[in-house]
Amino acid sequence: MSYGAADFLPVSGQRDVHGISRPSLSYLQDAWLRLKANRRALASLYLVLGLLFFTIAGPWIWRVDSAVQDLDQISQPPGVDRAALIVPDYQSWDGAGEAGPLHVVGDATSQSVRLKWDALPGANGHRVYRNIFPVGPELAYGMPLAEFFDNTILYHEDRLDLRPGRYFYSVVALGEDGAVTANYESLTVDVRRVTTLAEAVDRGLIENGDQLAVGDSIELQLHPLGTDYLGRDMLARLMAGARVSLFIGIVAPALFVLFGVVFGAAAGFIGGRVDQFMMRFADFVVALPFLLFMILFKIAFGIGPGESGVMPMLVAMVVLLWPATARLVRGQILQLREAAYVQASQLLGARTNYLVLRHMLPNTLGVVLVTLTFEIPKAIFVEAFLSFIGMGVAPPTPSWGSMSNEGIATMLTTPHELIFPALFISITVLAFNLLGDGLRDALDARMRNAG
Amino acid sequence: MRQGMAWYVCKRLLQGVVTVWFIATATFFAMHNVPGDPLLNDRAMTPAIRANLEARYGLDQPLFNQYLIYLGNLAQGDFGISFTQENRQVNDIIREHFPVSATLGILAVLFAAAGGVLWGALTALYRNRMPDYVIMFLVILGISVPSFVVAALSQLGLVTLNTLVGRSLLPVAGWGSVFHMLTPALVLGLSTMAYLTRLMRSSMLEIIDSDFVRTAKSKGVPPALIFSRHQLRNAILPVVTVLGPQIAVITTGGFVVELVFAIPGLGRFFVEAVQQLDYTVIMGTTVFYGAFLVFMVIVVDLLYGFIDPRVRLQ
Amino acid sequence: MTAAPLLQVEDLHVEFATHGGTVRAVRGVDFSVDSNRTLAIVGESGCGKSVSVQSIMGLIPVPPGRIGPGSALLRGQEILGNNVVNGRDVRGSEIGMIFQDPMTSLNPTMTIGAQIAEPLQVHRGYGAGRAREEAIRLLESCRIPEARKRAGQYPFEFSGGMLQRAMIAMAISCKPALLIADEPTTALDVTIQSQILDLMRDLQRETGMAIILITHDLGVVARMADEVLVMYAGEVVEKGGVDDVFYRSAHPYTLGLKAAMPSNRDDSAQVLTPIDGSPPDLFAPPGGCGYFARCPYAMQACEDNHPESFDLHADHFARCWLHHEDCDVEATDVHRTTASE
Ligand SMILES: Nc1ncnc2c1ncn2[C@@H]1O[C@H](COP(=O)(O)OP(=O)(O)OP(=O)(O)O)[C@@H](O)[C@H]1O
Ligand code: SF4
Ligand SMILES: [Mg+2]
Repeated sequence: MSYGAADFLPVSGQRDVHGISRPSLSYLQDAWLRLKANRRALASLYLVLGLLFFTIAGPWIWRVDSAVQDLDQISQPPGVDRAALIVPDYQSWDGAGEAGPLHVVGDATSQSVRLKWDALPGANGHRVYRNIFPVGPELAYGMPLAEFFDNTILYHEDRLDLRPGRYFYSVVALGEDGAVTANYESLTVDVRRVTTLAEAVDRGLIENGDQLAVGDSIELQLHPLGTDYLGRDMLARLMAGARVSLFIGIVAPALFVLFGVVFGAAAGFIGGRVDQFMMRFADFVVALPFLLFMILFKIAFGIGPGESGVMPMLVAMVVLLWPATARLVRGQILQLREAAYVQASQLLGARTNYLVLRHMLPNTLGVVLVTLTFEIPKAIFVEAFLSFIGMGVAPPTPSWGSMSNEGIATMLTTPHELIFPALFISITVLAFNLLGDGLRDALDARMRNAG
Repeated sequence: MRQGMAWYVCKRLLQGVVTVWFIATATFFAMHNVPGDPLLNDRAMTPAIRANLEARYGLDQPLFNQYLIYLGNLAQGDFGISFTQENRQVNDIIREHFPVSATLGILAVLFAAAGGVLWGALTALYRNRMPDYVIMFLVILGISVPSFVVAALSQLGLVTLNTLVGRSLLPVAGWGSVFHMLTPALVLGLSTMAYLTRLMRSSMLEIIDSDFVRTAKSKGVPPALIFSRHQLRNAILPVVTVLGPQIAVITTGGFVVELVFAIPGLGRFFVEAVQQLDYTVIMGTTVFYGAFLVFMVIVVDLLYGFIDPRVRLQ
Repeated sequence: MTAAPLLQVEDLHVEFATHGGTVRAVRGVDFSVDSNRTLAIVGESGCGKSVSVQSIMGLIPVPPGRIGPGSALLRGQEILGNNVVNGRDVRGSEIGMIFQDPMTSLNPTMTIGAQIAEPLQVHRGYGAGRAREEAIRLLESCRIPEARKRAGQYPFEFSGGMLQRAMIAMAISCKPALLIADEPTTALDVTIQSQILDLMRDLQRETGMAIILITHDLGVVARMADEVLVMYAGEVVEKGGVDDVFYRSAHPYTLGLKAAMPSNRDDSAQVLTPIDGSPPDLFAPPGGCGYFARCPYAMQACEDNHPESFDLHADHFARCWLHHEDCDVEATDVHRTTASE
C-alpha cells in the first residue's frame, strides 16, 4: 500500500476517546437483570410462583374437602377406572352352583366374590386365603378368610373389604390334625367395582334411584391424584399440606432471619462489651444440637386436643435458628462501618439512624435475601423430618411431612401415597435451592464489580 | 507454640463443658415445663418404678434441689433411669444401642466424606463438561430429596431387586452383618455427600485457578503431583470445617434411617421414647446426644488445626 | 553475532473465548532474549504482558485460551503449546518464573523448603534429603537468614520480601537458562524492591541466565534492562536498547508512558501527565493504530491503517506512522530518523 502526504495530516476535532459508558444501575436492578439472564434461576422462580399459586389459589379451584373420606376409593392410585356397575341389592348365597375345581360363581364384584371348589385329595377340611400377590414358591397365601374342619362345606363368600383389582385366592387342604398342608389350589380373580342404587344415592353420586337402573354404569368421585389410606383426596390434601409446609417453610425463616438482622445489627452498631456479650450468646445457641431441641420444645409445649402443632414448631425454629443471620449481618455492618463512604457521611453530620437506612440496609438486603432463600428449604426439611418421626404437626392436619409418614406404611402396595408428598417436598426444596444459587450469583457478581 | 496449642485445646474443652451444661439445663427445665405431672399420667407405671424415680430424683423436694441432684448425677456420668421400663438405666440403653448407631454413623461419614471429596474434585476437573453436569444433577437431587424418602425408596428398590433376582442380594432391613450396614449407611450419608460434593467443587475450582497452582505448573510439576500435593490438600480444608456440623446432620438423620430400616440403634430408641413420652429416657439421651455432638465439633476443629498449618501454628 | 538466540518468540497470538466474545489479548508479538541479557516488557495494565509470557510457559488455561499462530523457540526448539523437550519439561528446569504476588503464589500448606525442593525432585530426580539440603543452600544464596529453620516454615510465617526471595530460590533451583519475572516487585515496598532487584542482578552475573522482566516501573527498567519492549493493546509498539527507548523514544505511547511515570533520575519536582482515555476494546481491536484515540499526533492515515513496524537503527523499531517517509508532521518529542534527518 502506498500513502501520500495527505494521509499524514493531523486529525482535527474531537476523537472518540475509548471509554466505557454503560448506564449505571441500582444494586437491585442490576441483580435482577443478572437473575433474569440465569435460566435455571428464572425457571425455579416460576416454579416457586407456581407452588404459591397451587397453595393459595388451588383450594379455590379444586374444591374438594381434604378431610372427607371416600369409602369407595381407599388408597386408590391416580388414573384408575372409576366406573361402577349398578347391581341389585345384595342377596345371601347358600353355596348353590356347579361343582368343580376352585372357581367363581357368578360375577366377581366388589360386593362379593363367591368361591366354590371340590374337596382337595386327602383333605380334612380347607382353609381359604386371599392375597394381592401370587402365592409363589414360599407359599405366601396371604390373609386367611375362613376355615372349615371337614369337607361338608366347599364354598365361601368373600365380602371382606373388596376393592376393584386382582386378587389371588387359595384353598389349602388341612391335614388330619387340622394343620395346613402344602396341598393347595389357587385362583386369580379380577374384581370389578359395583354399587347398588341405594348406595349410590347414599354416597351422593346420584339424586335418587329413578334416574338409573340395574345394569347402568356410573362414575365415582374423581380423585386426580388418587386417595390415601382413609380415602381422602390426595390433591386436596396436598394443597392443604402445602399451606402448612410452606407456612412453616416461609414464615419461620422470615421471622428468624428478621430477628437475626435486628440482633446482628444491634450488636454491630452498639459494639464493645455489649457486642461481645451478644455474640457469645449467639455462639451458645449455635452450639445447641438443633433437631434435638426442636423435639424437646415440642414435648415441653405439648399439643392440646384440636391443635395442629404448627405454632410450637414455629416458635422453636425462631428461638433456635436466628444466630447464623445475626452473625452475618453483624459482620456486614462492621465491614460497612469501616467503609470510607460511611465515615464520609458521618463527617457531614449524618445521624446514625439515617446511616442505617441509607447505607446499611441496601447493602445488607441482598445478603439477607440470599440467606432467606436458602433457609426456606432447610425449614421445609425440618418440618418434614419432625412430622415424619411424629413430632411435627398432629393428625389430622396434613403437611407434606406427615403425609409422607403415613405413606410409608403402604409404600409397597400403593406407593403414590408416599411419592406425591415426597415429590412436592423435593420440588419445593429444589426450586428454592436453585433460586438461592441464582440470587447469590447475581448479587455476588454485583458485589465483585462494585468492589 | 506448643503451649499455645495445649491452651487452645483446654479452652475448647471448657467451652464444650459449658455448652453441655447449658444443654442439660435447658433439657431439665423444658421437661419440667411439660403440662401436668409426667409421673401422674395414665401410663401404666408400676409402684416399683415410681419409688425408684422418687428416690433417685428427689421428686418430693423443691425444683432447684431436683436440678442439683440431676446435675450431680450427670456429672457422675449417670444419665438416668427409664420411666416406662422397670429398672432400665439410660446408661445401659446407651451402652447397648449407641455402638450400633456409631457404626452406622461412622460408615456414613466416611462414605460421605470420601464420596464428596472424590466427586467434588472430579466435577471441578471436568468443569462444564458431561461428567460435571451429570454429577451436579445428581447432587442437586441428593440435596433436594429428604432422607426418609431416599430411605423408603431405596428399600422399595431393594425389595423389587431381590424379587427380580429371585434371592436376597442385600437385606432390606435389620442389623447384623456388613451387608445390613451398606444400604442404610449409603442412604444416611447421601445428602451430606451431595453437600460436600458441592462444597468441594467450588473450593477446588478456586484452587485450580489459584496462583500457587500456576506456580507449581511453572515449576514443571507433573499434573498428577499437582493434583495430589497442591490442589487436593488445599481444596479439602473448607470441607473439613463443615464436617463437625455435618456429623450432627448425620446423627439426627440416623433417627429416620434406623426407623425405616429397623436398625436397633440409639436413634430409633430415642424416637420411640419420644413417641411414648418416656421423659427420663428423652432427657438422658438428649443430653448424651448433645454432649456427643458438641464433642465431635471440637474434635473436628482440632483435626482442622492439624491439617492447616496456619491454624496449628497460630 | 552468535547463532540463534536463547529464546526467540515470533508472531505470538493469544485469544480468550469469553461469554462476551473473543478477547484478542496478544496479537503478533516478536522478541528474543539472550543469555546474560535482561529484556524488560513495559506497558499499561491489560496490554498482554503477562499473557505473552504465560503462553510461552504453558500457563494459559485452554480453553478459554487459544494459543497460536506463532512460535517460541528455546535454543531452536519449539516450546509453544508443548513444554516438553527431549522428554523433559523445560518449565522449572530451563525456564524459571516468579510472579507478582508472592503471598498467594506459594502453596499455603507446604513448607517453603519442600516447595523449593520440588523442582529438584521432579527434574533432577533428587531424593528428599538431598533436595532439602539443596533447598537450604538455595535459600542461603538468596540471602535468607537462618535458612535451615526457614526451610521448615510455611509461607504465612514469611514476610512479603522473604517470600519473593524464596520464590526466586525456587525458580532458579535447577539453574535455568532463563528467568521470567512478572512484576516481581510490584507488591513489595521500596527498600525491599531494590534488594530483590539486586539479588536478581547478582544471580544473573553468577549464572549468566537471561531475564525477562515485566514491570510498570520505568525506574526498574532503567536500572535492570538491556533491551526494552513496549507493549500496547496486545502489540509491540516499540522495541530497542534501553537507551534508545528512553532517550530516543520513537513512539508517542512510549512518550506518554514516560510522562505518566515518576522517574528516579529527575530530582526536580516533576509534573506527571497521565494518558487520557483507556486502551481499545480487545474484543474488536481497531483496524488502524490502537493508540489512535489517545495519540496527540494522530493523523488521517492512523485511523484505518495498521501501522507498520519501522526500523530506526539497528535493533530499534517503532510501530507508528510518524516514521513513514512521506510523513512530515511536526512531532518534536518523537525521535525520528527517516523523516526529520
Ligand atoms: N483467562 C482469561 N480470560 C479472558 N481474558 C483474559 C484472561 N486472561 C487475560 N485476559 C485478558 O487478556 C488481556 C491481557 O492481560 P494481561 O494479564 O496479559 O495484562 P498485563 O499486561 O499483564 O496487565 P497487568 O499489568 O495488569 O498485569 C487483558 O485484557 C485480560 O482481560
Ligand atoms: S500511528 Fe498515528 S495514532 Fe498511532 S501512535 Fe503513531 S501517530 Fe499516533
Ligand atoms: Mg500481568
